[in-house]
Amino acid sequence: MFPYEEILAVALVVSAFLAVHLENTMHAVISFGSMFTVLSALYFALNTPFAALFQLIIAVGTVAVFFLAGEMLTPKTKIHQKLRNKVLGAVIAVGLSLPSILLDLQPDTLMNPHNLSFSSALWEYRALDVIAQGVVILVLALGAATVLKERRREG
Amino acid sequence: MEYLILSMSLLAVGVYGLVTKRNLLKMLISIEIIAAAASMNFAIFASTAGDKLGQAFLMLALSVDTAMTAIVIALVLVAYRELKILDIWDLSKLREK
Repeated sequence: MFPYEEILAVALVVSAFLAVHLENTMHAVISFGSMFTVLSALYFALNTPFAALFQLIIAVGTVAVFFLAGEMLTPKTKIHQKLRNKVLGAVIAVGLSLPSILLDLQPDTLMNPHNLSFSSALWEYRALDVIAQGVVILVLALGAATVLKERRREG
Repeated sequence: MEYLILSMSLLAVGVYGLVTKRNLLKMLISIEIIAAAASMNFAIFASTAGDKLGQAFLMLALSVDTAMTAIVIALVLVAYRELKILDIWDLSKLREK
């Protein structure tokens, strides 16, 4: 048991709640990025290092895209949100994270690990999925490019 | 500490954002939070069972989720450029016209 897990859990829920609650889009995106970073640290605490690294890499790309989109789509007028409102949101988020710290589930499900290495789990058990996923991502990338290209042609 | 309940808390935050916010970017952030809560379960069960297969599933789920985010952001950008709309209610009103 890691002593810092509880702090990470509270930070995770607070940053996720603020990402939704804050009116200023850029502040919300910063909070969203910190949520991904804390989530990655929690994955390290769970002893799943591949997941943690992948989450961190994905987070960098996603947050960068959200930053650009937030900057492009946010009106330049200043948004005033009362400090009291922000603090209230953080307090509610801390309250939401408390059940995960205080409660304890006792699962009685037996789990039979496969004792696989990560590479064999990915390439021997899920090789078809990985290939199919590559096709899906290619189609999505083509779709995004088509959507943006159509607009440029019309412009 | 119970990670499954933490995942449910994260899911609740995402659903709250999806229900209460009307800004398209905020709604997309809420969907990302829900996806993070769902994919967290893979890591939790992989850790509990001591199995690497869960991490492989997590990688697959995260990749598809990120690709989906890219295409939704492209659609949001087009909606804003063409119609100057970032509000989901205003966007749905277009259907009635």
